[in-house]
Amino acid sequence: MTPEQDEAEAARQVRERIAGQFGRSLHIRTLDTGSCAVCEQEIRLLTAPHYDLQRLGFFFTPAPRHADLLLVTGPMVRAFDVAARKTYEAMPGPKVVVATGACALGGVYRPDAFVHGEVSAVLPVDVWIPGCPPSPLALLQGLSVAVGRLTEKITGLTFTADNASSGGAG
Amino acid sequence: MPLWFARGLRRGVVTTRYPARPDSSSVFLPTPPAFRPGQLTRETADRIVAACPNTALRRQGDELVFDVGACTTCGRCAAAAPHAVTSSGEFELASTSRSALVKTIPIRGGLR
Amino acid sequence: MTSTHLPLPPSLPQPAGVRERLVRQLTGLGGLEVRGGGATEGAVTIRMLAETLEEATHALAGTPGTRLADMFADNDGDATTLRLVWADESGYLLTETEIEGDDYPPLSDIAPAAFVEECEIYEQFGIRPATGKPLNRLMLPPHAGPDFPRLGHRPAQPLDEAHAPHTVGGQAFEFPFGPVRQVGVESLYYGLVTSGEEVVDLYLFTWHKHRGVERRLRGAKPRDAIFLAERVEGLSAVAVGWAFAAAAEAALGIAPPPEAARTRAVALELERLYNHAAATAALCQATGLTVGQSAAEIALERLLRVNAAAFGHRYLFGIVDTGGVGRAPDIGVLRRELPGAYGELRRVADALLTTNSFIDRLEATGILAAEQARRLGLVGPVARADGLALDARLNTHGPQGESAAGSPYTGHPVKIVTADGGDVFARFQVMLGETEESVRLIDELLDAGTAAGCTPLPPGGGHGLGWTESSRGEVLVWVALDEDGRITRARLRPGSVRNWRGFDDACRSQNVFTDIPIIEASFWLTVAGMAR
Repeated sequence: MTPEQDEAEAARQVRERIAGQFGRSLHIRTLDTGSCAVCEQEIRLLTAPHYDLQRLGFFFTPAPRHADLLLVTGPMVRAFDVAARKTYEAMPGPKVVVATGACALGGVYRPDAFVHGEVSAVLPVDVWIPGCPPSPLALLQGLSVAVGRLTEKITGLTFTADNASSGGAG
Repeated sequence: MPLWFARGLRRGVVTTRYPARPDSSSVFLPTPPAFRPGQLTRETADRIVAACPNTALRRQGDELVFDVGACTTCGRCAAAAPHAVTSSGEFELASTSRSALVKTIPIRGGLR
Repeated sequence: MTSTHLPLPPSLPQPAGVRERLVRQLTGLGGLEVRGGGATEGAVTIRMLAETLEEATHALAGTPGTRLADMFADNDGDATTLRLVWADESGYLLTETEIEGDDYPPLSDIAPAAFVEECEIYEQFGIRPATGKPLNRLMLPPHAGPDFPRLGHRPAQPLDEAHAPHTVGGQAFEFPFGPVRQVGVESLYYGLVTSGEEVVDLYLFTWHKHRGVERRLRGAKPRDAIFLAERVEGLSAVAVGWAFAAAAEAALGIAPPPEAARTRAVALELERLYNHAAATAALCQATGLTVGQSAAEIALERLLRVNAAAFGHRYLFGIVDTGGVGRAPDIGVLRRELPGAYGELRRVADALLTTNSFIDRLEATGILAAEQARRLGLVGPVARADGLALDARLNTHGPQGESAAGSPYTGHPVKIVTADGGDVFARFQVMLGETEESVRLIDELLDAGTAAGCTPLPPGGGHGLGWTESSRGEVLVWVALDEDGRITRARLRPGSVRNWRGFDDACRSQNVFTDIPIIEASFWLTVAGMAR
């Protein structure tokens, strides 16, 4: 298999495993690896009345030991590596890592002596949620994709538009 | 405490039905760009790439490579080439594969 | 370079008001020269010799109403230049001193507000106060060896690990907490010293989040740099972005078009509103008033949606641009939606003010003495809750002289809200008062006219100071641009950098552990702003 096919197969297996195990109730632990603080504000709003993630069976937990999913923000500042790995290792399997926000996905900060530039440099990421910041709606979509409740849309989007019309993605 | 209880009841429910139903507030969210291949020339593409303050865009021969994962929806690419760049309107971008977030857009502008 | 008097050279316009007093304080001191450079009327730069620095610091620190707003260094080739930024209600005074050798006068003994900056300067530039007193690790992690990248030369000796000395008497023990803390908050490490319940001492480390942004900005053009500057402390994106743009504009001698300047001010007030709503929600969460938290979050969400509908981004990113603004607000949407969103916040605030169980947790909690707030040079609602009437919006001197074409606050004076007591309740009252003033100001600015537009940046270089009042306090940015217009030094100083040092004092003595989140919410700072 080509590397792309390997990756797609691995992604499919992750989805199946997750859907089987976390479909009904998911506990989420958050991790800030150097964000600008706005991603955290959007994450906090997930428990606010407008979004209420608990109605979907998602819950926040302060204890990595109780967590199924690690929601990670920030460009992975190198000085934070040890704390990041310890948090991840404290979570018992099966577990899912979701990197959220442009910083965490490799945008904004190119790697240098201070930052890795992306979460996947230190932790094995299963789901990526773009945005700057990802809005609570985007986070809900991302978490639903992570537990297999929603099919991702991204593979079908081309980010092209008609030459004549205004707006809309192909 | 009775004050808060009464307030809460009067305020009513504001909770979204998303993802079961679309949420009307999503139309105001900034979204990544969508490119018009027929309006993209090499020069336009280079101008778009130069406008990006981030690592989301680069040109590879006759293709514009767009990393949605790195995009911060700052809008500078659209401001640099408004005829060639519009808003995609898409905010549901989560992916189980990093490579699925990197899109290639053909540069077809100026071709007969 | 040396002169025995300080007459202002005839070519420089006479500075106005109280700032003239600041400059005159230095009369009679030798080794001074007023730099003609810098187009900003509101900021005067004085070059002084190292021998004069101590005396000048005494003179300025001793002047009532004057405070040390920032201190930073720069490496131009081999020489290290030390810059101090003094402020009073009429403007800023920068002093510039070349330091030869490894040390300089002990400024924090005269102005305690300089201590944290002395630590940072030692870490990054290797120069330290002559008394040799212990300096703390600040930005660089413990494993940062001699070759770790710095803004200047590395220090000759490694930094001490010691934090501020405290007496751990009796059975007190030290309790490390973080950096991974409760859900949905930034990473932050506290060292908590306690005898059981009471907070004996508290110290913070923020190096886990240090991204090295000042270093990353070197060589960048201002327009690209503003993208990163906004993301230093995203919750103050407008404030930091505007201060940065203003610094670059001052360096190049331009001002934004007046309607664009007013757009910046509208965005800044929207930023203040949502931050204060978020702080209210955090206070409710910290006191365990879940209904209040939910109600405040409804108001916060409504305000963020107003931002998105009016300006295209919930957190107002991408509005400020070098020379002006890239986007104008949708005025119809703003006028239609803001009153309802603010009304929601107002109703929550009114309900909270009549909820005794909530107010009881705020009163007499986290008391910061006014004298301590002044000594430490604190800013923002924290300072105003101690009765210190400082606000960067009062300084309306823009880069184009007397008429202050650059400042949108000329003709739209801001009412400063203060309180007494310095406890959490006072800070809460200041924030509530400010939200009312923000709504009024937005209305006035919209009436006066807002639009998008940028003054083009001319070629060339220079240096300049920019300032704004973010929701958490004064933001200062100083930039130096070379002849190609590229940044050689960018100093970013969000309000959080000034105020975290007051947090330990506010948490000590009468407070117990469960008060710490309440006090943290009342400060409403960010770790990102400190650890840039």
